[in-house]
Amino acid sequence: MVLAEGIKYVYEGGVEAIGGVDLRIRKGEYIAIVGGNGSGKTTLAKNLNGLLRPTSGHVAIAGRSAAGMTVAELARFVGYAFQNPDHQLFSSTVEEEVRFGPRSLGYPDPEVTKKVEHALEVMDLKGVRDSPPLTLSLSYRRRVSIASVIAMDPQVIILDEPTTGLDAKDIDVLMQYIDILNREGHTLILITHDMRLVAEHARRVLVMAAGRILLDSDPRGSFSDLDLLKQSNLEPPPVTLLAHRLSRFDIPSDIFSPEELASAIVEKVRGGR
Amino acid sequence: MSGFVDLYTEGKTFLHRMDPRVKIIAVLLLTLLALVVRDLFHLMVLLAFIFLLLVLGKATLAKTYFALKMVLRVMVMIMILWPFFNPGGTPVFWTYGPISITQPGVLGGIANAIRILCLATVWYILMFTTAQRDIVRGLVKLGLRFDFGLTLSIALRFLPTFGATMESIKDAQRARGLEFDKGSLIRRSKNYVAVLVPTIVSALRTADTLSLALQSRAYGARADRTYLRELKMKGSDFVALALVVGAFVIPTVARFVLKVPV
Repeated sequence: MVLAEGIKYVYEGGVEAIGGVDLRIRKGEYIAIVGGNGSGKTTLAKNLNGLLRPTSGHVAIAGRSAAGMTVAELARFVGYAFQNPDHQLFSSTVEEEVRFGPRSLGYPDPEVTKKVEHALEVMDLKGVRDSPPLTLSLSYRRRVSIASVIAMDPQVIILDEPTTGLDAKDIDVLMQYIDILNREGHTLILITHDMRLVAEHARRVLVMAAGRILLDSDPRGSFSDLDLLKQSNLEPPPVTLLAHRLSRFDIPSDIFSPEELASAIVEKVRGGR
Repeated sequence: MSGFVDLYTEGKTFLHRMDPRVKIIAVLLLTLLALVVRDLFHLMVLLAFIFLLLVLGKATLAKTYFALKMVLRVMVMIMILWPFFNPGGTPVFWTYGPISITQPGVLGGIANAIRILCLATVWYILMFTTAQRDIVRGLVKLGLRFDFGLTLSIALRFLPTFGATMESIKDAQRARGLEFDKGSLIRRSKNYVAVLVPTIVSALRTADTLSLALQSRAYGARADRTYLRELKMKGSDFVALALVVGAFVIPTVARFVLKVPV
């Protein structure tokens, strides 16, 4: 679905944000790109939807070279929800806001309505469809901004730090809706540095640091190498750290939920008796 | 694309170290001087002096070109158009109907183009050798109300920030299929609504937060506020001031009192 070969990106002024990334993303994947600030996560994602064009290397989306497509054409395939929802909300009602994307892409009216209804449904926004989006709470504004991307019905959806600034309850609600998108067949790319989120939701993890992909594995694998996580300024969940400390008692170190740790310990104690 | 929003270039030259008050006064006097002087040769001397300052201040070529690019265009326009609107004097180079191109016309065009370049360069020197906050500090010390000074420095400080916000907003809307360079003029200006609304909202939110931050740091608690960094005139500042005042007063007296053409 998405293919990146040897892409490098150098910002004006000579800062190399990504240096040589190869990436193949298949349809329906649920990927988390993790890494500290300035590791190149956002730059990489922007190279995938044409907002930035790689300085060298090339990107192909759905078998077509991205170089020959405008950002608007790419938007049909790769949707991108920005970190700050206030950077895209401008309409006077939620519904109009969500309509904006598919209408810009030139879908016929009945099609637009269908896509909008579906997006409102998935993000559970039907109750606020007539409210001005800018007066809603951050959690709602984020959902509106994501809905406005879903409504364009892109095969790939990139979500840039969707949980920043939300409390635990809001995060749970939001991630529940996001998981639905993946089940519907959308390819999801989650940019985050929340490792707990990664553990609980993603199925493939790309760990980035200094513009390179250090590790490409399932979430479990990404937790077993503490040095690597440290190198990319990431902090695994406390339970994983505990498991690492217990590893001299033969507790597996790729644990990321308290339940798992508990059952591993119970098993150990039983087995040792 | 992003360009140089702040022209200030860090440096350690004498121009950078000069008291901002002296620099502001010097720039004002040199501006007036460029308007007082009328002789082409004297204007060229003034321009040479200003360019010398530019070199001494270690201006970079790229930034100077960026700052003066528009001025160069204006200069070309003036040089071309001036002779047409000032057809007086002799010798006449060329006549066609009511239009005549004369030597004083051509020379006047060149003189005015040089004058514009003098004005622009002298202000550019102030901007690139003085940090914005020092300019504001200088203005406040010269008698500007502190509130206005603060407003000015905040405005200048946030220009690049809003520039970046606007770029990000444009990207966000492009990712939603908005195309800024397509369609009719009306279509295009309508597209900018999608950028302007979020920009204004974000500006208002920033202003709101900023005012809280100012209040929480006891802004305006005392009328007789003190300053962390006091400006102090050094010996070299007085010398520079004296030189500039001299350079301004002598030609001005010559022209207006002694009636000598300068």
